[in-house]
Amino acid sequence: MVSGVGMAVDLGGVKMRNPINTASGTFGFGWQLEGFYDVSTLGAITAKGTSAEPWPGNPAPRLCEVSSGIMNTIGLANPGVAGVIEKSGAYLAELERRGCRVIMQAVGHTIEEYRSAVRLIEELAPFVSGIELNISCPNIARGGKLVGGTPEDAAEVVRAVRPLVSRPLLVKMAPVRVPEIARACEGAGADALSLINTINAMSIDVRTRRSRLSKPTGGLSGPAIHPIAVRMVWEAAQAVSIPINGIGGISSGADAAEMILAGATAVTVGTQNLPDPTAAPRILGELEAWASEQGVSGINELVGAFEC
Amino acid sequence: MSPRAPAGPRGTVGLHEFIVMANEEVARDAYRLEISSSVSQGLEAGQFINVAVPGDASHILRIPLSFSRTDPANACVELFYAIVGEGTRRLSAMRAGAVSTAVGPCGKGWRLPDEPAARCLLVAGGIGLPPIFAAAEMLARAGVRFDAIVGAQTEAKLVFPLIHDLERLVADDCRVVVATDDGSSGSKGFTTTVMERLVSEHAYGCVYTCGPEIMMRGIAAIAARGRIACQASLERMMGCGFGACGGCNVPLISGGYASCCMDGPVFDAKAVAW
Repeated sequence: MVSGVGMAVDLGGVKMRNPINTASGTFGFGWQLEGFYDVSTLGAITAKGTSAEPWPGNPAPRLCEVSSGIMNTIGLANPGVAGVIEKSGAYLAELERRGCRVIMQAVGHTIEEYRSAVRLIEELAPFVSGIELNISCPNIARGGKLVGGTPEDAAEVVRAVRPLVSRPLLVKMAPVRVPEIARACEGAGADALSLINTINAMSIDVRTRRSRLSKPTGGLSGPAIHPIAVRMVWEAAQAVSIPINGIGGISSGADAAEMILAGATAVTVGTQNLPDPTAAPRILGELEAWASEQGVSGINELVGAFEC
Repeated sequence: MSPRAPAGPRGTVGLHEFIVMANEEVARDAYRLEISSSVSQGLEAGQFINVAVPGDASHILRIPLSFSRTDPANACVELFYAIVGEGTRRLSAMRAGAVSTAVGPCGKGWRLPDEPAARCLLVAGGIGLPPIFAAAEMLARAGVRFDAIVGAQTEAKLVFPLIHDLERLVADDCRVVVATDDGSSGSKGFTTTVMERLVSEHAYGCVYTCGPEIMMRGIAAIAARGRIACQASLERMMGCGFGACGGCNVPLISGGYASCCMDGPVFDAKAVAW
């Protein structure tokens, strides 16, 4: 590293060459970004949420723009674990060899679906460094309420998949009841926590009186949610001793630095990848310059270094 | 083989700087934008670029724009756009010399007809004309004859500079028919009405269409009834333009969805669940 600052971090056993990760659903399976820069320079990528069987996702429109952010109701459209590995497995395995950690994200509508997805990832993608459990999906067995919307429900799904996962298990939390759910996930065996997921939000076209998405509500992401995400990362970091993967509206090195000061070990670039496909390496450079200015020998020294 | 970055026939999608060479109103709320950029090198007819409009951090997404012409030798791209919201309004305020970036070349463009000897029909509605002009140049270069229908709500919204250039591209025995909803220019009525008449007069090998989705649905239906191949260029709100987010889905007849930015924007009209 040019700055002399050690940038390597350990996210619950996912050993990253630097703290920069990319958020599921904003980065395809990595190869979509290779035309813009060498993706292997990042610490990790998180692949798009993947279910055991293919999911078609929601009808159009799936996306709308709001002030300082976007809203989506993509519905975790994906071709299933086997479909992902068939098309992108060779690229992802090669990305691991090039030194960038690959995290596969598992999604499901029931605990059994999560278990199936995780089993298939373990079987078909043995090269990945970590599995992230997205517990912000609607649980169809429980009337569509969030799979991980309460500490009890979150712990149940984490406990159910933990024995099936032979590598670091990250849990991507919904932005609700953060300290309690963070503690519940830690107690159920999570190695790290990723937060926050998108914030449930609403945008209405007042002319047509319809939702601007194909569903009444959608997930808000982008700069609009960044200060909320920093607060929630800070709350989670106070509540648990496992590392935090900070996500939410990071669009600059300063945004990433805030997350680290609030207690994040790794920082994940999401929505900013869409309009600004070279955002992740730019943010890495800015983060490294900040760490150098702070006069530390390793970025780890700044994790949770927020002074109240 | 392991997939690589999305790539068109001539270029991989990338990030390109551009300089505004010209940006002027050519019809009511419609602008002609000429940029100088290396993105010109890889663009195929019917593809698009995703343009950043600087100056307002509260609007984060780029604006996907299809182009009418490229001049790779001089690194120029000509685009036309309509003011439809805040982003395009700010784009219209960019002056010659302003700089920004474009992601591209994006998506899959027009294909030549299966039977090059057959006459083709081009149908443009509103600001759908620029990619139709690109299709016309592609067909003219390949020696394919075509008629064209250009529709708009009213005369003030017709992009005449492009219509005049289109007239120069059609063969001697072919024509460009203008239609306006209010009859202020050309024939009164919709492009679909003109198309019904033309398909009764000629045997067409392929229809190329771009315009409002409700218009293209009608055009596709007429083509399907006449068993004429039809390619349609669709428009969607887009997050990225290079297949990373899954935001720009297009429903398919076969079930499920295609991605407008990766599988389109040009689709076989028969495959789309209009």
